[in-house]
Amino acid sequence: MKKSNKLKLNRREFLAAAGAAVSMPYFIPSGVLAQPRRIGANEKITMAHIGVGGMGGYHLNDMIQRRQQGQVNIAAVCDIDKNRLINAVKTAGPGVEPYHDYRYILQRKDIDAVVIATPDHWHAVQMVHAAECGKHVYVEKPACCTIEEGKAMVAAAEKNKVSVQVGSQGRSQPEAYLAHRYLVNGNIGHISRVDCFHYPSPEDNNPVPDSDPPAELDWDMWLGPLRFRPYNQRYCHGVFRWLLESGGGQIRDRGAHVMSCAMWWMGADGTGPVTVEATGTAPKQGLWDSAVLMDVTYTFKNPDWVLTWRQMPNDKLPKAEERTGNEPGGKISRPGYGANYRGDKGEFIHWGGDGGTWAERKARQWELPADGKDVYKSPGHKEDWFNGIKTGAKTIMNIEAAVGVANLCILGNLSYMLGRKLEWDQANQTIVGDRHAQRLMSRPQRHPYHL
Amino acid sequence: MSTNNLKTASIAAAAAGVVAQTADFARAQGADELLAGIKSNSAEKRTQAGFSAGKVGAPAVKALAKVMTDDNLEVARAAKRAMWQIVRYTGRPGTNEERRAVETELIDLLGDEQLVAVRREVLWMLSEIGSRRSIDPIAGLMKNENLREDARMVLERIPNRRAVAALKAAFEAAPEDFKPNIAQSLRKRGEEVAGYPCRKLVPKKKTDVKPL
Repeated sequence: MKKSNKLKLNRREFLAAAGAAVSMPYFIPSGVLAQPRRIGANEKITMAHIGVGGMGGYHLNDMIQRRQQGQVNIAAVCDIDKNRLINAVKTAGPGVEPYHDYRYILQRKDIDAVVIATPDHWHAVQMVHAAECGKHVYVEKPACCTIEEGKAMVAAAEKNKVSVQVGSQGRSQPEAYLAHRYLVNGNIGHISRVDCFHYPSPEDNNPVPDSDPPAELDWDMWLGPLRFRPYNQRYCHGVFRWLLESGGGQIRDRGAHVMSCAMWWMGADGTGPVTVEATGTAPKQGLWDSAVLMDVTYTFKNPDWVLTWRQMPNDKLPKAEERTGNEPGGKISRPGYGANYRGDKGEFIHWGGDGGTWAERKARQWELPADGKDVYKSPGHKEDWFNGIKTGAKTIMNIEAAVGVANLCILGNLSYMLGRKLEWDQANQTIVGDRHAQRLMSRPQRHPYHL
Repeated sequence: MSTNNLKTASIAAAAAGVVAQTADFARAQGADELLAGIKSNSAEKRTQAGFSAGKVGAPAVKALAKVMTDDNLEVARAAKRAMWQIVRYTGRPGTNEERRAVETELIDLLGDEQLVAVRREVLWMLSEIGSRRSIDPIAGLMKNENLREDARMVLERIPNRRAVAALKAAFEAAPEDFKPNIAQSLRKRGEEVAGYPCRKLVPKKKTDVKPL
């Protein structure tokens, strides 16, 4: 192939590229591909926020409180929506640098860690890039949109020795600890089935034609790795969740919470199903294409158990437990999703599974006997991540576990889209016997927004 | 072959022909019904029709592509979804002939007479079920400024050495501004590319928002 390099690299940039232990030549500004800085136990972590609307706004406010408590510095905020960026600058206050392109943040050597709260189709690319630049990462769930992205995320975290926490924060909730402890101590016996329930994905009740993007939005960077298409108001913000390509519907949005609890409590992190079979109903109009109602069955072997995900009409959902509101977790404010654990000695149900996780009364009232088995009690999802950054300890929703959960969501959607049962080889991380489905394990990405 | 055997063989061949004609007729009729459903004013009927699209298959592809540009936004969307339904149904294991028939129809839709939006969608359909037969027609679109990036990504996805060869040829012929894109695909497919280093970590868009 003809050698031709029109790029002008200065000496520092060239050396950075040449010194990088990577398999392809990179054009790399100096400062990136750095090892993560060692951070002492009492030292502040310097943060940057990539994506500051929606959950990103929540994380920024949460981090501002931690700044007031002396835990962190906030060095930068970034968004491709100018209005959101202006708001974030006002919220974060003086000393915080605004950016449009997250890659400027990755160049900064003074930044230890990034919080990524962009649309789902950006999670993998930005997490991998941040890890390659030596940044610790908190990335919103679901971890990834394709099987290939998940593999790249795991590899990048391992290779670059960065701490990654994925935002399935249900695992860190106080009642998640109580539920976990209750289940692993055999209170409902051997569990062979977990049935997750959720209300339906919405249909687009206000379809509109394509149009020019608003002036404040960089549509090219919003799309990022996705193939190009004209702007439509029904892509963003927030509603990207209802498109299979980006959000993937309730199964990926909340499945990444509810099934995260299931995998954690069943001791199934690192394992995967052998078969996945999904059916569902498509929206009748509009841009969104995620299944409205959905029924997915995952079969696990050795040990044998079944996990199901059902998006069902509201009147079919299990009734939420009555609470006085005086309990530590308060009333159940999200009764529309959760899971029913079915053992040979009884059943147990929880509601929520994200920032709100409510365990059935019997688990809350149960006391651990002297010879009982205790489980890890997270100090909080961010605290658990900070601990991972400072000590190298594995986080509670580490990237391997999070990719395992995301894969469940991805495979469920693939089976729904293809209208057929899929076989999954967990050891080799591949779909078996279906070449069409195998192609859909990855998705080519637009240049230069790629893994 | 004896006369009796010859007679039996001809009867069997004729019977097979009748069965095939009947199936073709049923599919053609199915295509008409599908089209009528997709063009319906009722969202319910459009959705129901879309469900049946997979089994109708190739005979409906070109007609649906035409409806993809319908003035009624929801009818156009229903046609697009029905086409995807066909692609996903024919992609199932053990359907080589069906898939080949659909692929042939899709390749025909890559021509200049089609709108860019239709061709872009068809390209991505071929990314899922396209075989080596699709590669040259797709590679031909690497010269089209509106479609070259999609064509590049689609070739990257088709698991065939010929797709890599097409990317290499396109790389040699590509204008300078597009070479880095093709280099990305070639590296993804395990090829070494001299020059055009990966620029994924290079920032390029500054903000005019000022810090406080």
